Amino acid sequence: MSFLVAAALGVGLFVAIPIAAHLLRRGRARERDFPPTALVPAARSVARERATLEDRWLLAIRALLIACLAVIGATPFVQCSRLSLNRSAGASVAFALVVDDSHSMRARAGDGSVRFERALGAARELLASAREGDAIAIVLAGKPARLALAATTDLNAARRALADLGETDRSTDLEGAVSLARTSVASVPHRDKRVVLLSDLAGGALSEGQPPLWTPVPELATPLENCAIFGAERRGRRVLAHVACTSPAAAAGRAVSLLGDKSGTLAPLAARGGIQELGLDVDPKLEHPELSLNGGDALKGDDQCPLAAESAALGVLVSADVSNASAETGGPPVLEQAVGALEASAALHPIAILPDDVNEYRNNALLLLDDPGGITPEARSALTRFVERGGVAVAFLGPRVEQTPLGATLEPFVHGAVHWEAKATGDVNAASLAWLGPEASSLQDLKLRGRAGLSTTDLLGGRILATFGDAQPFLAKRELGRGALFTVALPTSVEHGNFPLRPAFLALLDYFLDEARTRRGAAQSVAGSEWTFPLGANVSIEGPRGTLAVHERARTLGNAQKSATPTLAGRYTLRIDDKPEERVVTVDPTEITTLPQKPPGGGDVARASANLGSVDASPELGFVALALLFLELGLRVFRRVTRERLAPRAALRS
Amino acid sequence: MSALRKALDWGKLAPLRLRAKTVADGVYAGSHRSRRRGAGIEFGGQRSYVPGDDLRFIDRHALLRHGTLLVRQFETETDRTLCLLIDASLSMSYRGEQAPGAKYAYAALIAAALCKIAVGAGDRVSLDWFGGERTVELATAGGREAFERVVGALETAQPSADLKSDLPAMERAVARVERRAGRGSTVVVLSDLLDLPEGAEVAIGSLGARGKTLTVARILDPTEVDFPFTGPLHLRALEGEARVETDAAVARPQYLAALEAQAQRWSERLLSRGGSLVLLSSADDPVKAVRKVLDSVGGLI
Repeated sequence: MSFLVAAALGVGLFVAIPIAAHLLRRGRARERDFPPTALVPAARSVARERATLEDRWLLAIRALLIACLAVIGATPFVQCSRLSLNRSAGASVAFALVVDDSHSMRARAGDGSVRFERALGAARELLASAREGDAIAIVLAGKPARLALAATTDLNAARRALADLGETDRSTDLEGAVSLARTSVASVPHRDKRVVLLSDLAGGALSEGQPPLWTPVPELATPLENCAIFGAERRGRRVLAHVACTSPAAAAGRAVSLLGDKSGTLAPLAARGGIQELGLDVDPKLEHPELSLNGGDALKGDDQCPLAAESAALGVLVSADVSNASAETGGPPVLEQAVGALEASAALHPIAILPDDVNEYRNNALLLLDDPGGITPEARSALTRFVERGGVAVAFLGPRVEQTPLGATLEPFVHGAVHWEAKATGDVNAASLAWLGPEASSLQDLKLRGRAGLSTTDLLGGRILATFGDAQPFLAKRELGRGALFTVALPTSVEHGNFPLRPAFLALLDYFLDEARTRRGAAQSVAGSEWTFPLGANVSIEGPRGTLAVHERARTLGNAQKSATPTLAGRYTLRIDDKPEERVVTVDPTEITTLPQKPPGGGDVARASANLGSVDASPELGFVALALLFLELGLRVFRRVTRERLAPRAALRS
Repeated sequence: MSALRKALDWGKLAPLRLRAKTVADGVYAGSHRSRRRGAGIEFGGQRSYVPGDDLRFIDRHALLRHGTLLVRQFETETDRTLCLLIDASLSMSYRGEQAPGAKYAYAALIAAALCKIAVGAGDRVSLDWFGGERTVELATAGGREAFERVVGALETAQPSADLKSDLPAMERAVARVERRAGRGSTVVVLSDLLDLPEGAEVAIGSLGARGKTLTVARILDPTEVDFPFTGPLHLRALEGEARVETDAAVARPQYLAALEAQAQRWSERLLSRGGSLVLLSSADDPVKAVRKVLDSVGGLI
């Protein structure tokens, strides 16, 4: 602070003068000699009362006036804490506001304020300093990064967009958000462009680039101590809790328990940072069980996590003949081994025969059939309903397709008789399977003992996704209700070829698992993940904060779908065609374990930010001082008029 | 009492001697004829005889012609004594912001001017006080020397003393004046009539008895006349223990009414004793003030 600033602010000390004068006047009028005092009537109460009431107003006005003058004197030198945009030669500015709406922004900063609210406040201050002609874009850094407002000069639209923002439990996509922000302001004609990053910087690496990043609220990136339950899965009578902590200090002395559990069992956390798994016994009679983390930390909202009514793991039914489909080295069938390798958390359920009751499909999202020997009507009906409800069924056809018993068919996969072609070409058209990725080329030069001939069958409206080299169908897909049916013309038994030994086999299985996960909807998902539903389905979702909106959107493959994106962690109740379903949304553990990084540019950027924050309030203060002056004059006039009017009355009273 | 208060504030009224002469010069002064009829040179008219009249003045020509007893009257020039009674109590030391000097200073100027006029007309002058310090009573005397002594005494005296509860002191002063003033004397009392003891009206009014002419000149400061204060006030009397906390706007009309009522009371009291009250302000022109006093006395020819 320079001498001038100190001197100007020192003027403010003169506020003491009217206060002292007021106290003196208020206390007692100055005693003066007056010989005919005996002829003067006393009117003490009136004098005191008036002096008290009127002088207080005058005192306040004069004190404010002096304070205003002091601040006006110091204003050119005083740095105001309000954020504002500095302009080079008064030119318009284009800036992209990157607001981090991830879960970690819901934590409270050191001063007790919520990070997200601080970020929104800073954004509002910056927006308030914007002028006509400035271009503003708003990008949200919660995963996936989204463009809330494309670059526009409509300041009202920007204010509305800011007002619509809310907290979420998404994970962070800083890198994507920054890239999106830079892209959004790249096309505007303004020369002065900036990207304002309002984030705790706990996300992906921030890359250098143009326009440079400005982090005007660096205190958002202050590291905090926090632990969170980011997942709770039921495994029989056990519950597996996944807990993430920022540091050993955050985990020390804390334990996980089941809310409402009378036994009061606690699973203490190991005093270390990172992710840890804890097991707890759960009472089957407990309704809507919920896990809770005792103790306190910077973010209380993630210390509880609901437990899904059923297993959160992806349920997979595998029907494979152990004698034929197993590897030479023994163990479970290849199909099971492959699924176990791809989805470690998947709940594998080997079955010998297809269920006749659709309820037996409950808790499962994927059915893998290896070399089916026909499907009975009861099993077909149950399978159809399973698929219609969002299940995915895959049939790897083998030599048993020709041995279907009476009354059994391969419907709903294909209609009609399927022949096993013992001698067939061993190549799969890699071009037709290009959508699978680079693994598709591994299906060249297969050593096969045969294949299922699908060319003569009715695919029941299904589409051929891949073909053999001779254009025979290799993979067909049929949409049914919310689910899908896939038919593969090769079995998974190594006795019939080396198809299951190729990488493409695993890639295909991964594709099926992904389809199952997407269509069925995992019982547990991360906030920000999209849920999709068939276009014709009647879907309503109730979340922790009321109804979740369901939108209609076009998928990349051409089919329109309905979708909803839960952004808050908690328990969701879905009704899909009047069938209730419960899902649990959790936070991404990386939101907890990822620590804030240093802002790009370090101290230089911080200093630049501070310089940009100065606000000259002289005009406003000048108006205030003028208004106070007029107010005092008005009060004096009012006082005189009132006194003249009241004097006779007061005289009569005394 | 502080030393500051003891030092009289003469203000623009000093020096007293020169100012008094200037004032006296401004007033038309000359010999005054006595209204008293008696032995003399110039015929002054006739009146009916009443028992006790000097038989030498019976107009025998009128008796013989008309058969009525008449007495011849003659006018004669007489000397008259001017008795000055000055209030030197503490309240007379007051000087407001608008006044040229303290009330006592103004009273001293008026007294000196009257003295000058009287001496110039060949009358004799006496000086007495009530209240005050270093006061010197001057016996009846005439001539230039008398004026010098009066001025000296006026300059020496200091307003002091609280007469609020000292009626005997006032009665003693009145008694001295009564002894000095014979029939036909003029008594001029110069006072603010404030903070005087109970019974002061009676005592001063008694000076108008036995053929004396009494004039009381009430001298007030302009502040006392107008009460020009504003806002809350805390007032203290110079004599007595009176202290008042009030609001100027509320108190002003009541104060002025009380002041007028007091003057009216004095006026009525003096009138009943053949005296008169002259109201003066220390901001008034001294020449006009002296004329008012002389008019009241009725001695101006």
